[in-house]
Amino acid sequence: MNVLEVKNLTKRFNGITAVDNASFTVSEGSVFGLIGRNGAGKTTTIRMMLNIYFPDEGEVLFKGSKIEQDFKDVVGYLPEERGLYKKMKVIDMLLFLAELKGKKGSEVNKSALQYLERFDLADRKNSKVEDLSKGNQQKIQFISTVLHDPDFLIFDEPFSGLDPINTNLLKEIILEMKNKGKVVIFSTHLMEFAEKMCDSIAMIDKGKIILNGKLSEIKEKYASKNVSLNYKGSLAFLNNNPMVESIEDFGNTTGIKLKNENSDQELLKLLMANNISIKKFTVDEISLHEIFVLLAGREVSIV
Amino acid sequence: MTLLVPLFMIGIFSIQYFVQSMSGEQRSDLIIISDSDEILNKVQNEIFQTSAFKSGDLTTRTEKTELSEFTSKLNKIKPDIIAQRITGVVFIPSTSLQSKGVEYYSSNPNNSSLFYKIKPSINKALVEIYFAGRLLTEDEIKFARKDVEINGFRISSDEKVAEEGYGNRIAMVLFSFLLYMALIFSGSMTMNAVVEEKSNKIVEVLLSSASSTELMAGKILGTVIVEVIQMAIWLSPIVLLISTSWFFIPPEFMPQLSFGFILYFLFNYSLALITYVALYATVGAIFDNPQDAQSGVWPLLMLIMIPFFIALGMEANAQSSLAQIASLFPFSSLIVMPARMILVEVPLWQILLSCAINIVVLLGIFKLAGKIYRIGILLTGKKPKWSEVFGWLKMSS
Repeated sequence: MNVLEVKNLTKRFNGITAVDNASFTVSEGSVFGLIGRNGAGKTTTIRMMLNIYFPDEGEVLFKGSKIEQDFKDVVGYLPEERGLYKKMKVIDMLLFLAELKGKKGSEVNKSALQYLERFDLADRKNSKVEDLSKGNQQKIQFISTVLHDPDFLIFDEPFSGLDPINTNLLKEIILEMKNKGKVVIFSTHLMEFAEKMCDSIAMIDKGKIILNGKLSEIKEKYASKNVSLNYKGSLAFLNNNPMVESIEDFGNTTGIKLKNENSDQELLKLLMANNISIKKFTVDEISLHEIFVLLAGREVSIV
Repeated sequence: MTLLVPLFMIGIFSIQYFVQSMSGEQRSDLIIISDSDEILNKVQNEIFQTSAFKSGDLTTRTEKTELSEFTSKLNKIKPDIIAQRITGVVFIPSTSLQSKGVEYYSSNPNNSSLFYKIKPSINKALVEIYFAGRLLTEDEIKFARKDVEINGFRISSDEKVAEEGYGNRIAMVLFSFLLYMALIFSGSMTMNAVVEEKSNKIVEVLLSSASSTELMAGKILGTVIVEVIQMAIWLSPIVLLISTSWFFIPPEFMPQLSFGFILYFLFNYSLALITYVALYATVGAIFDNPQDAQSGVWPLLMLIMIPFFIALGMEANAQSSLAQIASLFPFSSLIVMPARMILVEVPLWQILLSCAINIVVLLGIFKLAGKIYRIGILLTGKKPKWSEVFGWLKMSS
């Protein structure tokens, strides 16, 4: 069941169309990825979903109705640019943000202490936020996002600026929320995270949605006739080869699109005959990054 | 803050008074020169009567010198003046009996505390010499020298007559000053809070829970409630003064204020706070660091300072055209009308009209401020130009 529907959202700033007729849906109990490069319109789209920006055209529907305050109360939001009140105590900060969502009392207090305990910050509950390290402040921000037990979690570029420990922590939280049946929406330009965690995605480029749907279905559609290759040597001999439709070098891997899906064995023989040292040869597999490059064009830089 | 600010103000004025009184206490050694023995003797005798002379803070000696020889006399004394063995030379020529012109030569010619000590003596001496040949008695001379005292009596609309002392003038200055300080202080506090939320990047999290209008309104109302309660506490001694006999002050210093005026002042203060705090919050939303915000706040400071100076100037004439117009003009009415109401009886229709104008201005400002706040609060980076900010007002909601 579609719990969130984005319909024909458009937003313009000073004559520039930041989001152009964007439409997608988010199903209950799923992880949804809004992926695209920097400046594609991800943050603007998310802000319209949260009613922070008012769209110039289109609408966002929550369970079939226009978004009102009831949606905001069940959303936990972690923006790309994160911040807290520096002079506030940690526990006060958490309880304040929970109260803004309509949650207060001993239950929330208890939950806050449990989360602090889990993240090894229990002894810092009465410290001011500014006295914490950046990594610990990030943890406080994560806790504030989930403390009020929201049904929806929206993360805007959640992995940006995180150290490896906090990156793992955030992945844990996302998967935990997914397992609890929550709806998780996150935007990212890091395709590998989206690939590993999302059930469905929407790809946005220059404000337009260029791809939308279940990740498995998308990969199946684009993976057909695709060979993903890790190798050493030169593939120059494949240029103008009749069985090859296109070759895309992604740095770590090379994607070879065949004209005929049955030509994969022939390609393998040809590579070996030309003394190519093959590390990995995978048929009918394609990464999200490769799909994005195919759709958005060659000027995308390799991530 | 409620207790610290009044203590701080008392402290500041006390320090100022102490510094001023200390700066006057310094021993002065003067040479009084004149071409007239009569002037020299008279001035010297008068100075002997002063408390400054009796306490040893002032010593004088006289020297008779002809007018033509004064310059060479002065040249001989100059080294003593420069070495500060002599404080200065007071030259009282005989022509001063017509012009009252006296000259003072010193390395510190602007010594107003010294003038305060010697001027009355010199003036008295010259007046007595001047009138001596005119057969006037001392009482007649005293009467001639005495300044006229004008005592004011207020006639109120119920045709009652009451003597007016200094109390209302003091109250007018006090209330205007309180309003002025409170608006600037609370406005700056709100502006800094908004800038802090922008620079801390917490504003987007807040906006995921509440709309920008709710955020701004919450800030304004919170500030207004705190400030009104604080003002009520500060005004409570005045309320007790006018409504009880717990305190005694001389009648000429007693302000003629009613409890109704206090309530009106608090109501007007609330309107002023909402209006100006909304404007300050808007300025905070436009900029993302305190330095830029300070540069953008000067129009608001003018909106507060100009009416404040008009209010202080009303002491000269609270019924002047400027006072009447300013007490009804948007923005200035918030500061000028309460001050005017203390000095004169303002017709009820003018009070109601100013309230109506203030409320209309408040509603308009709130709407415009809300729009700028909503757009500006998420913008960071380049400092927007004022033309861009005005452009935001044209954007649709």
